[in-house]
Amino acid sequence: MFIESFKVESPNVKYTENEIHSVYGYETTEVVHENRNGSYQWIVKPKTVKYDFKTDTRVPKLGVMLVGWGGNNGSTLTAGVIANKEGISWATKDGVQQANYFGSLTQASSIRVGSYNGEEIYAPFKSLLPMVNPDEVVFGGWDISDMNLADAMARARVLDIDLQKQLRPYMERMVPLPGVYDPDFIAANQGSRANSVIKGTKKEQVDHIIKDMREFKEKNKVDNVVVLWTANTERYSDVVVGLNDTMENLLASVEKNESEISPSTLYAIACVLEGIPFINGSPQNTFVPGLIELAVSRNCLIGGDDFKSGQTKMKSVLVDFLVGAGIKPTSIVSYNHLGNNDGMNLSAPQTFRSKEISKSNVVDDMVASNGILFEPGEHPDHVVVIKYVPYVADSKRAMDEYTSEIFMGGKNTIVMHNTCEDSLLAAPIILDLVLLAELSTRIQFKAEGEGKFHSFHPVATILSYLTKAPLVPPGTPVVNALSKQRAMLENILRACVGLAPENNMILEYK
Amino acid sequence: MFIESFKVESPNVKYTENEIHSVYDYETTEVVHENHNGTYQWVVKPKTVKYEFKTDTRVPKLGVMLVGWGGNNGSTLTAGVIANKEGISWATKDKVQQANYFGSLTQASSIRVGSYNGEEIYAPFKSLLPMVNPDDVVFGGWDISDMNLADAMARARVLDIDLQKQLRPYMEHMVPLPGIYDPDFIAANQGSRANSVIKGTKKEQVDQIIKDMREFKEKNKVDKLVVLWTANTERYSDVVVGLNDTMENLLASVEKNESEISPSTLYAIACVLEGIPFINGSPQNTFVPGLIELAISKNCLIGGDDFKSGQTKTKSVLVDFLVGAGIKPTSIVSYNHLGNNDGMNLSAPQTFRSKEISKSNVVDDMVASNGILFEPGEHPDHVVVIKYVPYVGDSKRAMDEYTSEIFMGGKNTIVMHNTCEDSLLAAPIILDLVLLAELSTRIQFKAEGEGKFHSFHPVATILSYLTKAPLVPPGTPVVNALSKQRAMLENILRACVGLAPENNMILEYK
Repeated sequence: MFIESFKVESPNVKYTENEIHSVYGYETTEVVHENRNGSYQWIVKPKTVKYDFKTDTRVPKLGVMLVGWGGNNGSTLTAGVIANKEGISWATKDGVQQANYFGSLTQASSIRVGSYNGEEIYAPFKSLLPMVNPDEVVFGGWDISDMNLADAMARARVLDIDLQKQLRPYMERMVPLPGVYDPDFIAANQGSRANSVIKGTKKEQVDHIIKDMREFKEKNKVDNVVVLWTANTERYSDVVVGLNDTMENLLASVEKNESEISPSTLYAIACVLEGIPFINGSPQNTFVPGLIELAVSRNCLIGGDDFKSGQTKMKSVLVDFLVGAGIKPTSIVSYNHLGNNDGMNLSAPQTFRSKEISKSNVVDDMVASNGILFEPGEHPDHVVVIKYVPYVADSKRAMDEYTSEIFMGGKNTIVMHNTCEDSLLAAPIILDLVLLAELSTRIQFKAEGEGKFHSFHPVATILSYLTKAPLVPPGTPVVNALSKQRAMLENILRACVGLAPENNMILEYK
Repeated sequence: MFIESFKVESPNVKYTENEIHSVYDYETTEVVHENHNGTYQWVVKPKTVKYEFKTDTRVPKLGVMLVGWGGNNGSTLTAGVIANKEGISWATKDKVQQANYFGSLTQASSIRVGSYNGEEIYAPFKSLLPMVNPDDVVFGGWDISDMNLADAMARARVLDIDLQKQLRPYMEHMVPLPGIYDPDFIAANQGSRANSVIKGTKKEQVDQIIKDMREFKEKNKVDKLVVLWTANTERYSDVVVGLNDTMENLLASVEKNESEISPSTLYAIACVLEGIPFINGSPQNTFVPGLIELAISKNCLIGGDDFKSGQTKTKSVLVDFLVGAGIKPTSIVSYNHLGNNDGMNLSAPQTFRSKEISKSNVVDDMVASNGILFEPGEHPDHVVVIKYVPYVGDSKRAMDEYTSEIFMGGKNTIVMHNTCEDSLLAAPIILDLVLLAELSTRIQFKAEGEGKFHSFHPVATILSYLTKAPLVPPGTPVVNALSKQRAMLENILRACVGLAPENNMILEYK
């Protein structure tokens, strides 16, 4: 059975006017290697750590500024939110299509809350904690192309033509602010698009971004702003001692107008200096060590990298399933072809390299988790190819071949072909990222022994479900397996309302 | 990092000479619909139920009797266990292939135990609790074909020829006992194979099975037996009031030699009367209501139905992933072709119908869990086709097309082709089923308020991960999503050693 909403009643949860306060027993283990009766053994010591969570339930008016607002993702997301808010529908040969949020974890997925008369009870994911309603979000942003959002939507060739017609009046007066453009970081083929750029030194560009964000906030009377990069994939920037390895060096490099500081890092600096959450939806290393240090010192949320929406999302499901079943993937080959602007930009070797890295590391943790299948250092052959094929436009095609070893020398080959509008998968992911990042800033917690409440570590690992290459605090584990990432996120939000993690045991019926 | 074994140290766990005793807090919820301030609201009340678990750590000498021992699965499993035990390897053009247990959850998968110096620590699944070592299992069983196991292995055309040669001496003296043959229940094309059958009335057949099991147990000096059906898929038997709807009626029908009582149900009756766990690896309704009642009254473990090894296993991963991401599957079409004896048997419409049912219901629970995507009663179109193509032998080919609706009217199409030796996927599943069923019989527990320890409900739902159509106690939920089934099993075994469920939160790093 599906219910719309619920309230939690428990001695461990208190709802006040502005807060949900929960006391939570976090179950974890301490693992040690100790001498027992003359030999070294691994000892696992279960331990319960008491946590307090405080969630501010006052949902702010949220402004979202997208870098690359006029791109396929930006225009599609803006259009989709308007269509949902206005209840727009459009005729197709198959029937009348309603606007929806399919593909969004927060808007269209569900969680299990328990059993009622022997029936399983589910509720919407967003009913866990108060979150921003997409209807209320104000969109804005920057783009190196000056095209208004209605024209940008047409240029994208993603949405149904009848829908585009209905949306035009809402979108034709939305014009992106000029963006930071550095031809050294993206493909040369993007040059023809760049007719609306912020001039000046890098320092001046950062100041300009800051000014843009302040004006946007004031003009639109929003309480909070979140910024997200959905612009071109850049090439990696070199990480060089003295250049961008520390907070001081990075800021000094900006002052010195150092060429190796990328546009995406400049946006990130501007946001962190203003305490505005910044999310990187592309694979490049925007978050150089100096930027991470800056964000940590300012306690400003950063998250990324690279939207996980299609082929890699599937891979992080399949490989987890195979390894979890004791089957050994030995060769993974992934081909993609697409014809949108992202594809055109990625046809340059340097920008492709950023993507190749983010798409290839996704199996590493799952491989390392099973020492029966894989020797230390052993891993499947893994190759990723992306080709630019103008004709298919936004309708990305992914073709994958997974070869695995099964029982007694047998081989299993899985071949997959996947086709869909790339932006229709990515746009809901963007919505999830900004909504979850905003929610995350309203949660404070402390472990037993800690004196004061504090926010999450600025590097927002709970966004892992939505990214191909999850950014994590230095020295902490990277988790790519999709079901584990979803569990991580869901269970943390459950903790905030005093619900234990979903254990799937259904012990009462056994 | 991967460790081989571990011990749990905690005030909640006690290891004695013969037992592991754990005190466990089971976190669940009570969901109620109550009037609060004048309106009805759903209220979720977290609740902790104290459980105690007692696991007998004395691993018995186990005998496994397979119905259909001479089939592809039976001969492949027997061969594989011998090869692993004897450390047999064989040369192929690619390398020297070692025997292994890839594809077995118990032998080849891993679990997370915690973190050590910031690194994730994993251990083998079987290290959770003492389980039977496959090396020590004694195999036996019945078959309607009198072929010895070495010839049966050759007939199956599954294993490498060089391996078969090495295994022949071990297997040529293994001859199955005559089996129960009823041509009304399987395809007519099986008739030519049936040259070793138990004669007599159904009552006499049940008695013969019981005699066979007692003799096997004594001759091989095994402490315990498990019986598993891996023979032909039968047609469904009609469930008729007065015939097989209650325990008494079922046993009376056997006395009366009623034609609608199937061979598989006869085997199940024999096992239940002897207190021997019985598992159904095919899709037919062996477990008619009368049989379930009999098993409950005798507190004898039964489990099933239909090994989940390939196409449906992937389906129970994919659909769970899509729905969990807020994407709506609308059409699922699954084609299979295979040329082994299972395929030949399934080419008869009635036996195919059993398989069609077990393969088609697998998405029902996942669909019902998300009321945002699916209206009540709404479900994807779902078609399953199985064709008999002699040439491909045991190398089953599965071709699937999944169509889903994504954001704003977009469509996503996934096409998959899957190829591998069917028996090499199924044999490890059989091993898991018998080992986990045996382990399950060594676990006793009680919830707070219960006076005495008791075993699990005889209908073994913890085997769900391994079956396409999990048999559950009447009136309890069916769970098909693979990750949930795996979590169910793992978390229950963790509870037995005082480990909390894996929550994936890694809160210490956030």
